[in-house]
Amino acid sequence: MATLNWRTINIDALDPDSPANFDLSTLTPDVASASTADVQSLAGQIRQLLRAGDNEGALQGALENPPYGADERGKDIHLATVIEILQSIRQSEMSPILSRIYSAPGGTEALDVLMKYIYKGMAQSNTANTAKTMTPQATGFSQIHARGGGEGGGQAMSVLLSWHEKLVEIAGPGCIVRVMTDRRTV
Amino acid sequence: MSQSLRPYLQCVRSSLTAALSLSNFASQASERHNVPEIEAQSSPEVLLNPLTVSRNENEKVFIEPSINSVRISIKIKQADEIEHILVHKFTRFLTQRAESFFILRRKPIKGYDISFLITNFHTEEMLKHKLVDFIIQFMEEVDKEISEMKLFLNARARFVAESFLTPFD
Repeated sequence: MATLNWRTINIDALDPDSPANFDLSTLTPDVASASTADVQSLAGQIRQLLRAGDNEGALQGALENPPYGADERGKDIHLATVIEILQSIRQSEMSPILSRIYSAPGGTEALDVLMKYIYKGMAQSNTANTAKTMTPQATGFSQIHARGGGEGGGQAMSVLLSWHEKLVEIAGPGCIVRVMTDRRTV
Repeated sequence: MSQSLRPYLQCVRSSLTAALSLSNFASQASERHNVPEIEAQSSPEVLLNPLTVSRNENEKVFIEPSINSVRISIKIKQADEIEHILVHKFTRFLTQRAESFFILRRKPIKGYDISFLITNFHTEEMLKHKLVDFIIQFMEEVDKEISEMKLFLNARARFVAESFLTPFD
């Protein structure tokens, strides 16, 4: 005990009444718990819709049942499903699909969920391969060497970025605010 | 502007506009203090979900909003070692002069090259859309600056090597 540097102890963390120990669960709305198997079966159904060519129905189905109560693995599975749907929809179809979802009942909630997945998709794929390979500069006489190595995962990101742009056009910036403030994370 | 840069900057712009809704909030831990909550991390209920916007794995922006402050961290594109050194020198030059930039943070957070900290006092005395414009303009300029510096460095190195090797010719 004598060797412990007491000046570095964060006493707020030990005090049950301090704001540092605020119980966040009182701010989180109740969410139905979902098991990984449930998420997986939902992903299977959505994939069937996707194979039948019903992209819009697949997107709607995926956004109506976000697995808020699932564990990390279940959430990752659903994220992969949503990203797969987003990538299969062509650029020209984005705006019409979004405005149809927006005008349907419960449309704003669905688009908020979509925004959560877009941000999560952008955050996730760069933690996946952080093992960075820094190439030494190609010395020599040519300065017009290919700028390789810098574009990893750029294709998937540009899909998400164009979805984000279209979504903000339709649902407005309030959609982003709701992503930041909602304690139910995807 | 290249094809994929525009949606990236547009996404950062709308995310920042949404994140910069700040209000005055006094510290709950100690009386008569007013600290940026995102830095103090003393009350978890006033911190909001962080957002990441990325163009590819080497270029991303991390936005951490809270009730009275927003921390924005930028990872600048570094394709090779020379650019890595240039970015390091450049951000070091800026962060040493952080007072003149008001919103610049003295130290970037881990994994990023440069960080900004905007508090409610900044949004009270400066225009919010101008703050957003500043960050966007910084992101546009910094890429240009780095590639310009790299070209200049290569030209200079070639010139030095040539004049050094002339006597042996």
